[in-house]
Amino acid sequence: MNEWQTFVRRFSDMKEGKREIFIKDLSPGKAKYNTKHVLATVSKSQKNLKNSDVLWIRGESGEKAPDPWYLTIEQELEEFVPGKPWEDVLEAVKKRESYRG
Amino acid sequence: MAFKDHRDFFEVLERESELARVKKEVDWDGEAGAISRKTFEKEGPALLFEKIKDYPEGYRISNGTSGTWGRVALSMMLPKKTPVRKIYKEYEERIDIKIPPKIVKKADAPCKENIMLGDKVDLNEFPAPMVHEGDGGRYIGTWDVVVNKDPETNWTNWGMYRFMVHTKNWLTGWPQSTSQLAFIMKKSYLPYNKPMPIAVVLGTDPLSHIVATAGIKTFEDEADYVGGLRGEPVELVKCETSDLLVPAHAEIIIEGELMPDQIAPDGPFGEYPGYRSGTMCAGVAVKVKAVTYRSEPIVTMIALGTPPDDSSIAASLTAAVAMKKGLLRHGIPITDVYVPPEGVTHLIVIGVTKGGTETARKVLDYFTLRRIMTNKHIIVDADVDVFNMAEVLHCFATRCHPGRGILYEWYEGRSNSLTPFYSPEERKKLKGVSVAFDSTWPPEWEKEIVPIKASFKTIYTKETIDKVNKNWESYGIKI
Repeated sequence: MNEWQTFVRRFSDMKEGKREIFIKDLSPGKAKYNTKHVLATVSKSQKNLKNSDVLWIRGESGEKAPDPWYLTIEQELEEFVPGKPWEDVLEAVKKRESYRG
Repeated sequence: MAFKDHRDFFEVLERESELARVKKEVDWDGEAGAISRKTFEKEGPALLFEKIKDYPEGYRISNGTSGTWGRVALSMMLPKKTPVRKIYKEYEERIDIKIPPKIVKKADAPCKENIMLGDKVDLNEFPAPMVHEGDGGRYIGTWDVVVNKDPETNWTNWGMYRFMVHTKNWLTGWPQSTSQLAFIMKKSYLPYNKPMPIAVVLGTDPLSHIVATAGIKTFEDEADYVGGLRGEPVELVKCETSDLLVPAHAEIIIEGELMPDQIAPDGPFGEYPGYRSGTMCAGVAVKVKAVTYRSEPIVTMIALGTPPDDSSIAASLTAAVAMKKGLLRHGIPITDVYVPPEGVTHLIVIGVTKGGTETARKVLDYFTLRRIMTNKHIIVDADVDVFNMAEVLHCFATRCHPGRGILYEWYEGRSNSLTPFYSPEERKKLKGVSVAFDSTWPPEWEKEIVPIKASFKTIYTKETIDKVNKNWESYGIKI
């Protein structure tokens, strides 16, 4: 089971379901903390997911949520989202999710 | 002779007992950062970590090369114990001299000893530190020099901006949206949807890093000013993938393009005000096209945080001198400006020859004219030594009228979103407020009503002072 980490503004921003998120690989080694941009199903509970990995959540000041979430990666996306420099990445992702439905 | 590179400077630091070589293996993941932070907080030496977990022998990380006034003095080729006031004075004089850089051939540039191009680029091959636990990623660009150029005017900007490893060939970073890098991007690239070439330079000569923290005027090349400070030209070499010129003796050059239509998360990061506040996911994305580097390369780190560290010391010098020149250009009657490192460029002390509300208002106007990185300005009379914070605090406590002496100004779109006390909403809108604490006697007061400072130098006649000084040893008092 791999471990990943993602950043949100508030812990309460993290919602269960199919999500587009940037996650950081916590596997030891030279590539630790490299980012993947993925479509994944995320859940607070491991039992709702098959072949799930651990997902740690951190807030905008880097504070770590006490309990992990879980995710199953469904699709890897490009390293970026469309947007202009200095635009809010999380809002750009949110817009894409709302288009996707 | 000026220092050509990072390694030359290490030799001097070592000779002056200002460098510790850490030979024990340390983890790039938090451990190197924690050791560096503790060392800063104890005002310890610069560090060179010589054995890094996961990396080959020879791949190193340095920290704190300008983290004390002594090391800043040495970087300017002054004696280590040069007083702060003298360092300021020397910098102020030298920064007016411009010496253009010298362009050297690739064969004479140590930064070209090794070259990774295109698909071969892998940033994971360099020991980028996880500086603080909980940061958004591994910040390879902290104590760096970031180079970008305005194609319309040929102005080349050097600045110090944070950049983290996003993937093996992408960086994300956060030059502030009000920075000179952003100014060029918004002026000459974004309107045409063109990527902007940039280079992130690690480990060049110490004065290049110090000047990268400075507020050099728009359309002025920092490289010319570094030449003036060094007393000889900086040697530059052309990048592999763009026409940018970069320091030839640097340890590592990361060449890339800042994308006009693609973004990815940056941050959060423990920043120079001494906090990791909520600035994240609002930066830029850079596709890396090449990395050139010296054999046995050194990643230059600054484990940023509470002062003192390289940032709070270097910016104290470069910001204060830039502010002094700016205030004088605006016709404000100042004696000197001091940026105490403990105030992390948020708190500024300004000495004036003529105080009062009108002067305080002019000072506040100057500091709120354009982008605003400062927010508290203590204005003191000429009898106060701005470099002596005990005198400054005494003056502030006793001369600043809480009702009449505090002037403030709100603004939007120009504030420093790293300032910790701003709310998330204020940060997003770059909404801020600056204050001037007028700690001067009102100029309209008659001389006979101005309180007389009850200090040895100010409340006795010259005769008494001279007599006491002359007879001091005979009193038998040791101080």
